[in-house]
Amino acid sequence: MTNGAETAHSASESAIAVLSSSVQSAGHEVSIGVTLLFAGLLVSMILCLAFEEKLNAKKSVIVGAFAVALLLLSASLGLLPFSEMDLHVGDTDIHLPVYIPAIDWGVIFIILGSSLFVDVTAKSGLFTWIALRLTKASKGDPLILLIAYGSMTVVFSAVLNNVTAMIIVGSLTGVSLRRLGITDKLLGFLLIEALLTNVGGLLTLISSVPNIIIGNAAGISFATFFVKAAPYVTVATAVTIWMGAKIFGIRRLAGAEEQLEAVRLVAGFDENDGIDSPLRFWVSGVSLVGFIAVIASASIPDTILNDLGMGYVAISFAVFALLQHKATVDRFYREIDWDLLAFFAALFIVINVMEHARVLHELGRLLAPILEMGDSTGPAVLLFASAVASSVTDNIPLAAMLAKILGGLDLSADSPYWWAVIFGANLGGNITPIGSASTLVAVTIIHKSEIKLSFVDFVKRAVPFAMVQLAIAVGYLWIAL
Amino acid sequence: MTKLDVFESVFRSADKPVYTYGRVEIARVLIVTDLSDAEGAPLVGKVRSFLSALGENLQWQHLGGADFGSVGSLLEQVERAAPHLIVTYRHLHSDAWQWPHGLGEYLDVLTQATDIPVLILPHPDAERALPHTVANTDCVMAITDHLTADARLVDYALRFTAPSGTCWLTHIESQQQFDRFLAAVEKIPEIETDDVRQLVEAQLLKEPRDYIESCRKGIEAQGVPVKIEAIVAMGDRVEEYCRLVEDQRVDLLVLNTLDGDQLAMHGQAYPLAARLRGIPLLML
Repeated sequence: MTNGAETAHSASESAIAVLSSSVQSAGHEVSIGVTLLFAGLLVSMILCLAFEEKLNAKKSVIVGAFAVALLLLSASLGLLPFSEMDLHVGDTDIHLPVYIPAIDWGVIFIILGSSLFVDVTAKSGLFTWIALRLTKASKGDPLILLIAYGSMTVVFSAVLNNVTAMIIVGSLTGVSLRRLGITDKLLGFLLIEALLTNVGGLLTLISSVPNIIIGNAAGISFATFFVKAAPYVTVATAVTIWMGAKIFGIRRLAGAEEQLEAVRLVAGFDENDGIDSPLRFWVSGVSLVGFIAVIASASIPDTILNDLGMGYVAISFAVFALLQHKATVDRFYREIDWDLLAFFAALFIVINVMEHARVLHELGRLLAPILEMGDSTGPAVLLFASAVASSVTDNIPLAAMLAKILGGLDLSADSPYWWAVIFGANLGGNITPIGSASTLVAVTIIHKSEIKLSFVDFVKRAVPFAMVQLAIAVGYLWIAL
Repeated sequence: MTKLDVFESVFRSADKPVYTYGRVEIARVLIVTDLSDAEGAPLVGKVRSFLSALGENLQWQHLGGADFGSVGSLLEQVERAAPHLIVTYRHLHSDAWQWPHGLGEYLDVLTQATDIPVLILPHPDAERALPHTVANTDCVMAITDHLTADARLVDYALRFTAPSGTCWLTHIESQQQFDRFLAAVEKIPEIETDDVRQLVEAQLLKEPRDYIESCRKGIEAQGVPVKIEAIVAMGDRVEEYCRLVEDQRVDLLVLNTLDGDQLAMHGQAYPLAARLRGIPLLML
């Protein structure tokens, strides 16, 4: 363990270490029948997540229900030592229920802190200011607008998260294309932006949850992650925009009269409209730059920040940002995606149970043939397999399980298998509209704009892009990673 | 409210109509009275002096009482003359001017049947004109219940304002309608009434303020020698405008005949035209 993020989880890891002896003993006594039973329950949970919409149930409730049932089952079968949980902190013993240290609190704190920080920063009008300035800078030219919005989607996905990026850029796209009278290009714009959210989600360690989970498990630092991912993201973005412009016929304006009219139309956007307080605006801008810089520097070994971890950094910046709204913070608490956080907590418990039921061990054995294919074919197959799995179900359980499995194989931080899962889990979301939350948001905006796009239509249009992105990723794995 | 709604609202709010100045060309003016040429001559002279801001090279035509005997014949004469502006007063060929109600059948039809702006003067016999009026157009006030993106209204107001004069761009949001809307909101438990009151009122007033600011910039950029003043408020429209006309000694009120629903003489146009009989009104 070398990076700051990993150190951030030291408390929970210590706890797990303290508990490990009893846990291991429980794990060794598991029969194949019990493992199969738990594997069946895991498959059921994944299927329920895939049919989340049909079940009309939130992720947290689905996984929470499975977590409760699995804990009860594992307790009755003696898989988990419920009565022996003590965390030794100095001279103090803290008694903990087994499911508490099972949760990766570092990841929870990164997500909680960064989402709070992003919400407060968004309230300052910073992101809408950037988006509208870019719109005006494009002078209303469709192709330049596509490049601007595409690039903005990638950067926002990297800095914020892909759902927020899609919401900001997608809603602006609807308004600006209507203003320019080119709503016939709306589908193309929104689709390309949706596909780029998952490309942008690859840029940094905190850009997407699979990155956080895999990066932490692999011991990849923030800086290393960025340096390795950035060339791919740049190429994939350029190719996606180029393909989109060709396929959807998005071209530059030809005549001087058209250009002047477009400039006049976008001039109506007031980038300062959403800024309630100039002071908050500037504080948010500086804080955002500071947040990225400090998160990056938390990767430097043997520093206090490295010891405290990324979760601490994220929460600290969130608290600092909330100071600007100290009397009305409850408004931001209401905005927190509690479903996502509860989902994570429950998911970590489920995975912990699966580990003790030796389900992950068996899944790891299933991966063995892939690993035996060698460092060229193996990662490529794992990448495509992860992508296909992520396209139909949530990529977070996949990432969490593979992180556990690969973590048990003693792979080095620069192993291409980690990157295969990172690329596959993120890019798989581009194959179907349910593959990622951001593509789902894009489809929602498309339908709100009264454009018909069925599941199959989406797949038909998105697959060529996804295949090219995956092919580039495989090539990049072979050449550069 | 989802985040998607939040950002859509933010961007819609930032998408503002921009005022672009366009000079209104007026070359021919038709003055319609129910007087003979001799009786109408002083009035014609007064109108020419009153509208001196329109320039020297106008073509003036007087349509006297003997020139038309019905609404149909008046419309035919107007069509033949093809003026850019009609100047007239209420209750032509009628003594109903004695009662301060309505516009009279000729004016009622004229304002609705043609696209030509109609300047309504106080009736020459009624002696209801405010002391300062029909002298010059140093103070012109454009009024509407939906000023946003109404460049034509602003252009006309500017055209009629004398050089170095003041052009008031005003927007009074109906307090009555707002209260009625809020009364409905107060009965819906899912909606926070105080939030709605504050946010909706602020947004209703923000849009015309933003547009007036855009007008101010556009007018300054064109170097139009007119001072721009703004009033944006909530209130009873008719009462507020009556008060403003007196307080600001307004010489000319400019308003749209068609309202937001394109219904002729509905909305605030008719009650204002019927009530404000003491100053000239330009009905677009």
